[in-house]
Amino acid sequence: MSSDSTGVLPREGVAVSGVRAALLRKRTRFGEHAYTAFRWGGAGLFAAVVVALLLSIAGSSSQAITHSGVGFLWSGTWNPAAGEYGAGILVVGTLLTTAVAMVIVVPIGLGTAAFLSELAPGWLAGPLSTLIGLLAAVPSIVVGLWGLIVLTPIFANQVEPFLASMPLLGWLFRGEAYGPSILLASVVLAVMTLPTMVALSRTALAAVPVADREAALALGATRWQAVRKAVIPAARSGIQAAITLAVGRALGESIAVAMVIGNRPALPTSLTAPGATLGSAIVNQFAEASPGLGTSSVIALGAVLLLLTVAVNAGGQALLRSGGGHRVGTAGALR
Amino acid sequence: MSVALAPSRRDLVRAAAQRSLTRRRITGRIAQALCAVGAVASVAPLVALLYYTISRGAKVLSWGFLVNAPTPPGIPGGGISTAIVGSAEIVGLALIIAIPIALLAALFLFERSGRLAVALRFSADVLTGVPSIIIGIFAYALLVLPLHAFSDLAAAFALAVLMLPIMIRADEEAMRTIALDLWEAGIALGARRGRVARSVVLRGALPDLVTGNLLAIARAVGETAPLLFTLATPAAAMTLLIYTDGTQAFPIAQETAWGTALVLLAFVLLLSVAAKIAAWRISRRAR
Repeated sequence: MSSDSTGVLPREGVAVSGVRAALLRKRTRFGEHAYTAFRWGGAGLFAAVVVALLLSIAGSSSQAITHSGVGFLWSGTWNPAAGEYGAGILVVGTLLTTAVAMVIVVPIGLGTAAFLSELAPGWLAGPLSTLIGLLAAVPSIVVGLWGLIVLTPIFANQVEPFLASMPLLGWLFRGEAYGPSILLASVVLAVMTLPTMVALSRTALAAVPVADREAALALGATRWQAVRKAVIPAARSGIQAAITLAVGRALGESIAVAMVIGNRPALPTSLTAPGATLGSAIVNQFAEASPGLGTSSVIALGAVLLLLTVAVNAGGQALLRSGGGHRVGTAGALR
Repeated sequence: MSVALAPSRRDLVRAAAQRSLTRRRITGRIAQALCAVGAVASVAPLVALLYYTISRGAKVLSWGFLVNAPTPPGIPGGGISTAIVGSAEIVGLALIIAIPIALLAALFLFERSGRLAVALRFSADVLTGVPSIIIGIFAYALLVLPLHAFSDLAAAFALAVLMLPIMIRADEEAMRTIALDLWEAGIALGARRGRVARSVVLRGALPDLVTGNLLAIARAVGETAPLLFTLATPAAAMTLLIYTDGTQAFPIAQETAWGTALVLLAFVLLLSVAAKIAAWRISRRAR
């Protein structure tokens, strides 16, 4: 299976004339070589795309890095008019929206996965997971439009004033309730990462052997205890992978976030304040960027985002692979 | 003395066990109820999204909306035909680029094991997670900037790059459903590898290949960020039109955005459902 060049040739001793056999062998060899070349070509083109992607992003952002130095990564000001470019505040915004989205999506997603895999009867679990799978198919622009036109007024008039009036946690949401805010962006991100979270953790839970549940039940555990103490710990690496990949998606989502976050690159003072992320800043700054340094700086934001997401996704993939001997591709699990 | 005490100790233990069981049962009930609430909360966004998109989009949807070209602001009777055709052209072009490369790369992964295959597989998985906006920047830096022109080709290239890793992994998974025995049997019969790939692997995996590729297409049709960097006018693709019209404050523009969103959503969901049905029929036939 691993050797490529040794094709399987027609058996010797078959009653064909020497000339025909030679011709056949030649044709066979040619087809074999062509097929090998095509396969290598396909794989090579893909590898070339990956390399070209890395090189062109690095190359296009080099002007910005030489202008701003490594300080680009943490410098807090983004002021193109003054020639000051820094990704710091945008990195903070990206991490903050992702973190808040995870606070929302991890408990809901895990609960849903446990419900679908362990608790719900089959007639309910099937259609429900199909519906949640359909949510994954909804284009991000439609979620963004819904967030912008439907959720923004609801958040400005009801949700944000209510959260600000909460005891103990109210300080997180203080200040003017505009609508477009870090909180709203996080909610939109939560909606978009929910299907990933549910599908992957559900796959992880379902992969736990039935014997583990039976053993827990035989020891006198209630159904919930079996889930909580036997199934969820056994599926831990799969659930961690689900969270990691959901984080990866949340970090990189740009267009829907740009529609609802309010786009103010400043250090956030409250979750209900408008903010900006790497992705939303790229969307908004790109068209206005001056050719040369401005464009290069926007692309450098992309380079920072690429580093962040590749690190997170590589971690998630490693977790998926380490998951108890069974290998589930992301695409396979989401199907 | 001890004979008299024994039952009472047993009673104590039994009572404690009973209390523990009641407590554990109550906790379990609450936890299960919370999980069910979580499931409802997970379905709610989809229901809300569908409800708003359908109710607002249906108001503007008409035959004219689908087949008329956009009109300048203020002139009624405009449609989104250019955006629909544009999206179809860009995605079609992207498919012509992506499908053959993905199939060949997947065959490569199918027939090879070893470090090279592992590395390719891993980079495909990681590239799947790369934000689409970065792929847009890539197409911009590679095709738009040097040629000084926004183009359908650059947009199609971006979507092809976006689909490639998804397709490669889906194609490979589909091929893996063909038992290795069959591949080996084909080789043992003296068939060339190319012949086995065509007649055994591709033919056997065809339904699964269709499913995986349909899902990749559904994802590409709904992408906005890569087009932002590669297309000159918003009316050239549905998603871009939704973005520019949806973010305007004029009610008419927003109506167009909702109408376009409905068309796009219907198309994408149709593709996903088609893929689901294909997968379901395959699994039923296999049983």
